[in-house]
Amino acid sequence: MPVSGKRTQSALVETTPKRLLSHQLTFKNALRLPIIIWQALFFIAPLIFMVAMSFFIVRNYRMTEAFEMKNWLKMMGRDYFWDSYGLTIGLATLATLVVMTVAFPAAYTLAFKVSENTRRWAVFLLIIPFFTSYLVRIFSWYVILAESGVINAMLGYIGLGPYIMLNTKFGTIVGYMTLTLPLVIILQTLSLANIDRSLVEAAHNLGCRPWRTVFRIVLPLARTGLIIAAVFCFILSFGDFVSPYYLGGSKPPTLPILIVDTVKSGQQWPRAAVVAVVMMVTLFIVAFGGIAAAYRRRVR
Amino acid sequence: MTDSLVEFDSVVKKFGDFTAVERMNFTIDEGEFVAIMGPSGCGKTTTLRMLAGLEQPSEGEVRMQGRVMNAVPAHERDTPLVWQSLALFPFLNARENVEFGLQMRGVDAATRRKRALDWLDRLEIGEFAERDISSLSGGQKQRVALARSLVTEPKILLLDEPLSALDANLVIRMQSMLTRLQRELGITFVYVTHSQSEAFAMADRVVIMSRGRIAQIGTPKDIYRAPDNRFVAEFVGRNNIISGKIKSSSGKSVLINGSLGDFKVSLGGRAKPSPGDEGSFVIAADLVHLSSKKPRAGNQIECSLISEEFIGSVVTLFLEARDGSEFKVQIQERELADMDLKHTGKVFVSWDPERAHYIGAD
Repeated sequence: MPVSGKRTQSALVETTPKRLLSHQLTFKNALRLPIIIWQALFFIAPLIFMVAMSFFIVRNYRMTEAFEMKNWLKMMGRDYFWDSYGLTIGLATLATLVVMTVAFPAAYTLAFKVSENTRRWAVFLLIIPFFTSYLVRIFSWYVILAESGVINAMLGYIGLGPYIMLNTKFGTIVGYMTLTLPLVIILQTLSLANIDRSLVEAAHNLGCRPWRTVFRIVLPLARTGLIIAAVFCFILSFGDFVSPYYLGGSKPPTLPILIVDTVKSGQQWPRAAVVAVVMMVTLFIVAFGGIAAAYRRRVR
Repeated sequence: MTDSLVEFDSVVKKFGDFTAVERMNFTIDEGEFVAIMGPSGCGKTTTLRMLAGLEQPSEGEVRMQGRVMNAVPAHERDTPLVWQSLALFPFLNARENVEFGLQMRGVDAATRRKRALDWLDRLEIGEFAERDISSLSGGQKQRVALARSLVTEPKILLLDEPLSALDANLVIRMQSMLTRLQRELGITFVYVTHSQSEAFAMADRVVIMSRGRIAQIGTPKDIYRAPDNRFVAEFVGRNNIISGKIKSSSGKSVLINGSLGDFKVSLGGRAKPSPGDEGSFVIAADLVHLSSKKPRAGNQIECSLISEEFIGSVVTLFLEARDGSEFKVQIQERELADMDLKHTGKVFVSWDPERAHYIGAD
């Protein structure tokens, strides 16, 4: 009978997707599992261990499990720790400001003034620096910045210098820029290129001069991407060991250098853990604050 | 020509090898509602953008009130444009969007707030002044965009397909609002659209463009009833175009011999075809008389009914003539119901020679 035939059909139609759905769900969960396990094993667990370790104590150059505030009180009570903390934040902030400012005109040009093809090539070229080791790129600055290096040789021709650039804060900033500038230009370019052109034209149309348009329209529209770029720049600079060590001369030490020094002097892993926890907390605050600002709905 | 607000003088616009606008000449008067209409890629938006200063002409001059505007940058013109996407600033609320143009002109905060609120009230969205753009409906956004453009009291308003994203009901309401606004303000509206119903419903004059050239300029009625050429006849309305050779010409009318027989066509004025020439004429689908019996004399074609398209009170019938060509007839739905055509299959279309419109060879 046609009627009952129809019924069985609709019953089939009803049951099959449900079964499929549950299969799909298990499949989806199975796919999620590796990343969850990975994160738990190699991120969450070490993090917890590091926090725990900051309460351990070292006896006879051997770390012993304990729960004492000694390391925290010791580190927090030392001026050199706070000097180092201030220096690291200061340098990372300065690097972020400089990099964001230097990158913006480049990103603006790539986003608005060149063809899409040129932009693609530029982004590709900006990725190339990441092909070589960061350490190698930092060492190459020796040739350029040294007292008898390229820059001083050129300045010498016009009777200037020599200037000391290695082992200074300037050197550290140059190193930070080497690390972050290409990435920041890429991030800025992408966020600027996504801006709806008609909004920029609408601003012109309503009497907004080109320069003013950059501040009134382009920056607010690209806010999310720009803040994320700045956060990345700060995080990378703040945690960098190589630049302040090799180009900045490691004195005074930034927090990453302080970690290495602390570990080297008497196997003080717990105190190094204190520094690391402070760094983590600082970066968490910066990242959360940055992302909150980036996605806040309106700016007044 | 003191009255003309805008003049396009042999304007050419090229993008690389592509010519978007080709030798355009026309003027727009003060207080006129002009619609520029054409298929996509015909250069209508480029024309509008040249008026706004967002594109510079490659050749020729665009003048406003006699002043050559070619080199005047967009931000120094007072030619607000309403974008198809509306281009409202998402990080400002409705009132702040409206205030933007005033702020750029250095109007103080209190005055611009008052003027913005006045305009929002006038467009009946005063209560949404402090709302985020993203929380407004399509029609409300439309009104914010209009207020933002009109708040600076410009002499001209440019509109680039502003209604294309709205649903049909809202389009009709916005159309009547726009025409009312334009009459009240007495300023010039230049309205770009691909929609015939929008252009004809609102504009005093319609400019039809095709491949960067002006195909015809005229009142909606002129363009509808007296298309200048085949492009306009095909683009506008429901027209039947019949071509053939001129058999004889009396000055006032011609006899055109086509594959479906001889047809008498009265001549409007300009065209003076002579016997032997190729010629075409247009007979609008709604000017055709339909009958199931063969008319005694006059222009007529025997057809068979292929399909019908019902759009409310009017029905379009698609007929096929002996030679396979399509013929369209528009009649009232109730007329059709009285006629009872279907079972006969054969129908006769006929028309008054006065109603046919001669358009020359192309």
